[in-house]
Formats: sequence, C-alpha cells, structure tokens
Amino acid sequence: MHYIHQIPAYVLLGLTRGSMYALIALGYTLVYGVLQLLNFAHSEVFMSGAFGSYIVVHAVVGDGKGTPSWAVPLVIVIGLLSGAVTGASVAWTLERVAYRTLRRRGAPKLAFLISAIGASFFLSQLAGKLFNRFRGNGFPKYFDQNRQVLRISTARVQVFEVVIILTAVIMMIFLDRLVAQTKLGRSIRAVAEDAPTAALMGIDIDRTISRTFVIGGALAGAAGFLFGTAFSFSNTVGFDQGTKAFAAAVLGGIGNIRGAMMGGLLLGLVEALVPPIPHIGIQWTDVVAFVVLVMVLIFRPTGLLGERLGRAA
Amino acid sequence: MNRVMLRSPGFKRLVACLAGSLVLAVMIGPQEGTQADYGYAFRQAVFKPRVFVFLGIGVLMFLLVTYWPRVTPYFTRPGAVALCTGLTTVIAAQFLLRWDDQVGNAKFGAVSRAVSNTSGLSPATTAFFSWLHWVQFLVIAVLAAFAVAQRNRMLAWVTAAFAVVAGGIAFYAHNDVISFSHVADHSFGAFTTLLGYLVVAVGCSAAALSHEQATHARDSIDRVLAWRPGLPIAAVGAAATIIAMTTSAWFSPLRLNASFSSTHDLFAGYGLSPISSQYLAWLGWVLLAVVAITALSSTYLRLRLGGWIAAGLGVVAVLLTVVTLYDISKIGADNNVDAATGPWQNLGSGGWLACMGFGLMAAGGFIAATAARTSTGSASPSTPDTAFVPSESQGGLSLRTASRSSKNLLFVGVVLALFLPPTMTEFWQKVLVSEIGVYVLLAIGLNVVVGWAGLLDLGFIAFYAIGSYTTAYLVGSLPHKPPAWLHMTPLLAIPFAITICIIAGVALGAPTLRLRGDYLAIVTLGFGEIIRITAVNNPGNITNSTRGPSPAVAHPRVHIGPVHITWGLNNLQYWYLLLALIVIVVILFYRLEGSRLGRAWAAIREDEVAAQASGINTPRVKLLAFAIGASTSGLAGVFFASQIGYFNPDNFVLNNSILVVAYVVFGGMGSLPGAMAGAAVLTWLPEFLKDQVPADDRQMWIGALVLLMMIFRPAGLIPARRRKAELGGLGSPPSSETRAVPASEGL
Repeated sequence: MHYIHQIPAYVLLGLTRGSMYALIALGYTLVYGVLQLLNFAHSEVFMSGAFGSYIVVHAVVGDGKGTPSWAVPLVIVIGLLSGAVTGASVAWTLERVAYRTLRRRGAPKLAFLISAIGASFFLSQLAGKLFNRFRGNGFPKYFDQNRQVLRISTARVQVFEVVIILTAVIMMIFLDRLVAQTKLGRSIRAVAEDAPTAALMGIDIDRTISRTFVIGGALAGAAGFLFGTAFSFSNTVGFDQGTKAFAAAVLGGIGNIRGAMMGGLLLGLVEALVPPIPHIGIQWTDVVAFVVLVMVLIFRPTGLLGERLGRAA
Repeated sequence: MNRVMLRSPGFKRLVACLAGSLVLAVMIGPQEGTQADYGYAFRQAVFKPRVFVFLGIGVLMFLLVTYWPRVTPYFTRPGAVALCTGLTTVIAAQFLLRWDDQVGNAKFGAVSRAVSNTSGLSPATTAFFSWLHWVQFLVIAVLAAFAVAQRNRMLAWVTAAFAVVAGGIAFYAHNDVISFSHVADHSFGAFTTLLGYLVVAVGCSAAALSHEQATHARDSIDRVLAWRPGLPIAAVGAAATIIAMTTSAWFSPLRLNASFSSTHDLFAGYGLSPISSQYLAWLGWVLLAVVAITALSSTYLRLRLGGWIAAGLGVVAVLLTVVTLYDISKIGADNNVDAATGPWQNLGSGGWLACMGFGLMAAGGFIAATAARTSTGSASPSTPDTAFVPSESQGGLSLRTASRSSKNLLFVGVVLALFLPPTMTEFWQKVLVSEIGVYVLLAIGLNVVVGWAGLLDLGFIAFYAIGSYTTAYLVGSLPHKPPAWLHMTPLLAIPFAITICIIAGVALGAPTLRLRGDYLAIVTLGFGEIIRITAVNNPGNITNSTRGPSPAVAHPRVHIGPVHITWGLNNLQYWYLLLALIVIVVILFYRLEGSRLGRAWAAIREDEVAAQASGINTPRVKLLAFAIGASTSGLAGVFFASQIGYFNPDNFVLNNSILVVAYVVFGGMGSLPGAMAGAAVLTWLPEFLKDQVPADDRQMWIGALVLLMMIFRPAGLIPARRRKAELGGLGSPPSSETRAVPASEGL
C-alpha cells in the first residue's frame, strides 16, 4: 500500500501546516475571547508580518548568498522578531481604528465585522500598492531550507519544518504561560469572562483589549515570517490562510486558546492525511477540511474544547 | 516630552490626523512597479513635496476637529445643510464626473483643455472652462457662507440669484460644447453642477425666508413637503419637461443633435404615424402646458379631483411620449440612420427626460389627490400630527412626515428607474443589469437571513451558484441534458430554480440549527466553498468545470398568445425584466417584514431563548429564514445565467459572499431599502472608481470607504427603524466602561 507507506511524511506535512494555522488561529481566538468578535482583518496582520519581516531580512542578508551558517539562527530570530513587531503594530492600529471607535459608538455587532472586512480589503490592497502584487514573493535564500535533518521512516524532516514546528511550539507554550500566569493574562481572562465586572475590579478594559490584539498580532506576524520562509507570499496570501485559521479556531472552540492550538494541528493533519487517500484527490483538500469542520460542529456545536477563554487556562 | 503631554487628547488627535494624512498620501501615491525593493511607493510618496501638502491637510483636519464645537452651531442655521450639500455636489461634479463623452478621460480638466484649444465657441463658454468655473464657485461659497452664518437676508437673496445664474452658465457652457461637437452625450457633469448650484440657491433662499435662528434640515424638508403635498415634485417635473422640450436632444445619431422642434422637421415626410406627428408638432407642447397647469394648480390649491386628473393626464403624456420615441427611432432604423438595427436606438436624452418630467407631475398630482387632509396649511405640520403618533416615536420623526418624504422619494425612484437607464451609455446599462440589479436581488435575500433573523451567513453566493447551475441544466447547457419534458426556457425555470434554492437553504439550515454566531459563519462559509470547489472539480461531469456551461445559456423569451418577447443582447430589455422581478420581490418581502414570521425573526435575533419561551418554533423559523433568503438568489441565478449566457465557478468565489454581507450591513442591516441601497452603492462604486483611480487600487478605496462608513455611521446608510429605536431610543446610553465590550445581540 503506497498510501500507508507514506503516512509519516503526510503527518509531518500536516504538523507543519497545522502549526502555521494554529499560530494564526490564536489571534482569532484571543480577540474572540475578549470581544466576542470575529476579527476578519487578522489575516492581513499575518500578511503584513510576512512583508515586514521580508524588508528587515532583506536589509540584513541582502540576496542571502554567503551568509555564514552561524548567522542563520540569528537571522531567523531577527525575522521572527521583525515579523512579530510588524504584526503587533498593525494589529494595534487596527484595534484603534476599526474597533475602538465602533465600541465607543456602541455599534451593532455586525458593524464590527464589516469594518474589519473593509480594513482587510484596505490593508491587503495597500500592501499591494506599496510593495507589489506578484503572486510569489520569496525570502532571500540565506540557508538551505530543504536540507534533510533526520529521517523517520518515509518522512524526510527538512530544516524549515523543524524551524516552523519548533518555533510554533515555543510560542504556544509561551502564550499559554502568559495567559495562565502573568498579570496581563489574568486581566485578559477576566475581561473575557465578564467585562463590566472586570472594569469594576480595576482592570483597564481598553488597554487589555489593545494588548490582546498586540499579542495575537505578534503571533500572526511571526507566522507570516515562517510562512514566507517556507513557501512564497503575496499581498493576498492572508485570505486563504486566514479563512483556514478561522476554521481551525472554530474547530477547537473559538475563544479557547488550547482549542485553537489543537484545532490548527487537527486541521493541518486532516488536510495532509485525507486528500491523498486513493480516489479522493488533492483538489478536494478544502472540501475535506470544511466537511470535517461541519461534522465536528454538528456533534459539538461549540467546538472540540468548548468556548470560554477564561476556562482555558 | 513628558507623559502628560503625550497622553493629552489633543496630542493624540494631532498624531492621528497626521498619520491619516500620511496614509492618504500613500494611497494617492504611485504604484510599485516591478522593482524588487519593497516600499518603493512609500518612499516615493513620502519623499516628495506632496507629503507636505498632506501634512498640511492633516494639520487642517486637526484644527477642524479641535474647533469643531465652535463650528457646529452654524450648521443649525437655516439653509446651512443645503448649502454644504450643494457646494459638495458642485465640487464633486467638477472634479469627478464626466463632462463629455469624447474628449480624453472626459473629466472637466480634459474638456477645458480641449476647449482652450478650440476656437469658435462663445466667450462665455471659453471663460467658464478656463477660469469662471472656480471663480464663481469661490465667490458663491464665500458669499453664501457669510449670508447663512450672519443671517443676512439681502445677501442671501443676491447669492441665491447668483447661484442660479452660475448653474445656468455651467449648463449653457456644456450645451455649447456638445452642440459644437455634434455628438450624443451621456455625461452628468453639467447636470450635477446645475443641481448643486440650485441646491445652494435653495439653501440661500431658505436662509432668507426663515425667521428662525436654528432649524433641523430634515424638519425643514418635511415642512416644505407638507406645505402643499406634491407641489415640489410636480414643480421639479415641470422644470424637467421644459428643459427636455427646449434644450435637450431628442434624436441624436452621429453628428446630429435634433432638439424637440427640429425632430419634427427632420421626420416630416417620412411617414410618421399621426399621433407621433401631432405630438412633435403641437400635442407635446399642449400636453406640457395642460399637465403642468393641472398638476401645479391642483397641488397648490389641494384639489383632489384635479390631482387625479393631473395624474391621469401625466400618465397619458408619458405613454404618448414613449410611443413617439418608438416611432421616430423605428423610422430612423428603417431608414438605416447611423446603422440602427431596430427601434429605441439613436435616441437622445430629451424624450426620456420629458417622460421623467411628466411622470413626476403625475406623481405630484397623485400625492395631492391622496394626501391626508389633517394638516391644513399651518406652518408646523408636526403639531396636528403628533396626536396620531404612537408615543414611541416621539422625539424622532413622526411617522406621518417620515412616510410623506419616503412617498416622494419612492415616486422619484420609480421615475428614475423607468426612464433613466435608456439615457445611459452601453457600459452603464451593462453594469446596471449584470452587477447592480443582480446584487440588489441577492442583498434583499441575504437581508432576510442576516438582517431580520440575525443569522450570519458567509456563504450566500452558493445559492446564487445553485440557481445559476439549475437554470443551465434546465435549458440544456450542461453536459447532462434534462429529459425532454423538462427542457424549458429560462423564465419558466424560475420556479424550479427557486425551489432548488429553497431546498438547498433548508439543507444548509437543518444541520446548523444548533450553531450560533461565528460558528454558523464558518459553516456557511465552508458550505459556499464546498459548492464552488465541487463546481470546479466537476465530479461526474455535472458542471463542465471551469469552462462553464456550454452552449451558452439561452436568452429568455415569452410567447403567450399574441405577446412575443425575445430578450437578446440589449441590456435595457433585461433591465425592465429585472425591475419587474425586483418590484415583485420587494413587495413580497415588505409584506413579510411586518408579518408574524417577520416578527418571529426579530424575536430570535434579539434573544433566541426568550423567543423560544414565548412559543416561537425556533428551528422552523430559522429554516424559513434560510429558505426564503435563498429563494431570491435562485431568482437572481436564473436572471444572471440567462442574461450573461456564459459563466463559470469564478463568479461564485468566497469574496463575493463576503461582499454581499458587506452590502447588507453597509446599507443598514434589517432595512429593505437599506440593503438595496447598500448593494447598489457598493456595486456602482468600483465602476465609478474606474475613472478616478488606477484599477488595481479600487478595492483599497472601497475598503477604506466601508471602514469609514462603519466608524461614522455604524447603523448603515438607511438604518432599519427597529434598530434605530434600539440604538438611540431607550434611556441614557450606557457608560463607556460597560460599553467597552459590545452587548451580545444574538449573533
């Protein structure tokens, strides 16, 4: 059986893809947790992270030839940081412009969704205007991304996969601890649980919401860097990834941090494992993903792990 | 800098204004080309003198926002709002709209360059296009602002007269250019400028007439409309007809613009039917005089019978005008004027403008005939009315005045919908039919699901796809042919497509009944994608994949008894079909909103648990929302498939689903006119922006506009009455602390 033989390779692919989804999904989930809103423009935060880190990495390594191997991890860290900073600042601006103003006006809930959609179109096309509208931009090749690190049965583990999965795991652990143990995390959970009461307890709601956006934006921006390193990116890259990540967040139970991680990984695995089954075919990937999502939601209407951010940690 | 200064609201505002102006500079800046150095456009936009212009604009904005409280009192002066509207209209007309169909990009600048290179135009025209247009604008703006702000009556009258003259000059100059170049013209620039100046004049006269220091613009409009019901609309109609009869072109093949009277000479001896011949000779003028006199006098004197007579005569006049237009264009086509292939070609805008005018006069007569007698000409109509108004609407518009202005608007809308499209260019007719009309239908349907029942549906376009593919199957354009007895023309397919869409709606609704809000959003989104990808992947060769149905879907045709209509490639025909469909759907849905079902939807939208507790069968009601919402997309699908003939899965991408949701919310969630207006505006805008900005940037501007709209008017263009009551009605607004997180709203 060819398919069964290949399963480890598919699992590896699924984990790579899944950790990317999970990183973006965390942003959706965090915002949903505190605001009960779908932040539709989050996908463009991801996109801007890719462009922002590109500019910095490009400035550091040029076209990438002759980068000494000891510098590679350093460049990756720089890329991650610049992506995170870009993403965080875009997300912060987004919150200030497209969310806080509407909150002040007591807008109906769908107005937030539409303002986010407007912001999403705007950001994606503005990036297209400022940078370019090519389909496939690539980072400079400052290291051999496809070098095989180790081999588990049929799965050839390549450098970029190690980088992605490792970074994602580190960031997710970091976020989990942040939400569970720090003062900021406590205030995020409090706002998610009951905003008016949290305000009475002396929590600055606006500031907490703003910081939640920043955290989610930083994760998405870093994911943008990882995505750009592994694949190629463009000004419209956010839409597909964002949709999938949103699906992942819902799958795990939106508003639930561990749910988003789990949902992301699960979605990545399903997308990697199911379509190659004989008689299905790769062109049905998205259909498979959404069918699984619908099936899960029919049996668990609030996602796999249920929905409260407060309850997650 | 110390912390206090950084945190002061003024500083924050300054930063925001400057940042906004920088973003604007970037938006207007150049497009990054093929360079690999990212941010080229940003550097180009920032390191140029232009950036100082924008920083200046930012500072101006800052000052304006800071001193806004001192400016606002002036906006309550009588006429101030009209003045601002008029001046903005003039600016927009002179910067954005087309002034000619032939010259360059047809904007004002291009036309004025062409005029300056042309000799033989009258001096007034040359002056207007070179310097007079902005001089007169500035003078009128300054004078009118001063007159309105200082309540100077004399100056207000002078400015009003001056504004009328200025509008006249603009109109005359444009007409001069058009008659000089001898080409049919579809541009709106001069008309809009005239309109803007007239609005300025109205504002100035309001300032001169009013004795009050402060008014509310809407109240004033209502007062004018209530003074003599139907008189304003009839007067506008009379003016339009007079313009149509005197200056506009009635028959305009290439290199000829025949006005009303010269059309008669032109067709003398060509065997024009007696009615049309009489119409062109004298009947038209007589009709104009009779209809105008009856309409104006009966509206002014409030004669019911006179109103009915005016309405009847107006309709007759419209019919006669249409018949005449048919005759002259038919004869033109028979004689192969300008390669015309059939009737309705080579017509100028004059005949249609006359139709509009007669229609408006008829509407005025009708309004006068049906107006309630309660308000007997007292200065304030709301005083006698408030007794009949339920207490809930106090403080806002009274119901009766609201319905009065909406009645006027309705008639204006009907007249424009009937007679404006024929005067448009080919391009805009196409846009009107295949973009605006279709998406209006879709938005009406989605408004049921999102606006009324409060179920967020991000995959609505799937029903549209299902409707289109059903039509394609039934007319035999898909690889699998229907059995012979099921093979039909597109119009007959309507009930089938609607049924299939309703079934699909229930099929989507049933498994998702337990889901709320964003869970529902992602499932519907997935549903939309599943349908599209299935159409692309083409299992069992059911959809012919990305090639789309072939042969092309047949055009609709009707053969009932003596009536034979075949829709071909002419977009106008489709427009009237579409108009009929939209009117039927709107009437049905309007009835639905206030029905038991409509109220049940409102109940589950507000609070599902409470609705269930009140005895509403929530699963059934939700399913009905999905099914009824989907039905209009079935209709739209039939229309789309048979009109465009060729389509493929790319017409049904996720982006379009999201856009339809945006239309509904942009227009005003839960309000039927709002949803239609939202769809119309946002589908019109990309085509309009084609003339204004680079094609690639259109979505950016639209995104920015939607964002701004939601920030400054979160309830939408035309908010639903029920929602308005929710947002502003009950008690004091909650404090900013509790409002930091939006209240859950059942979505």
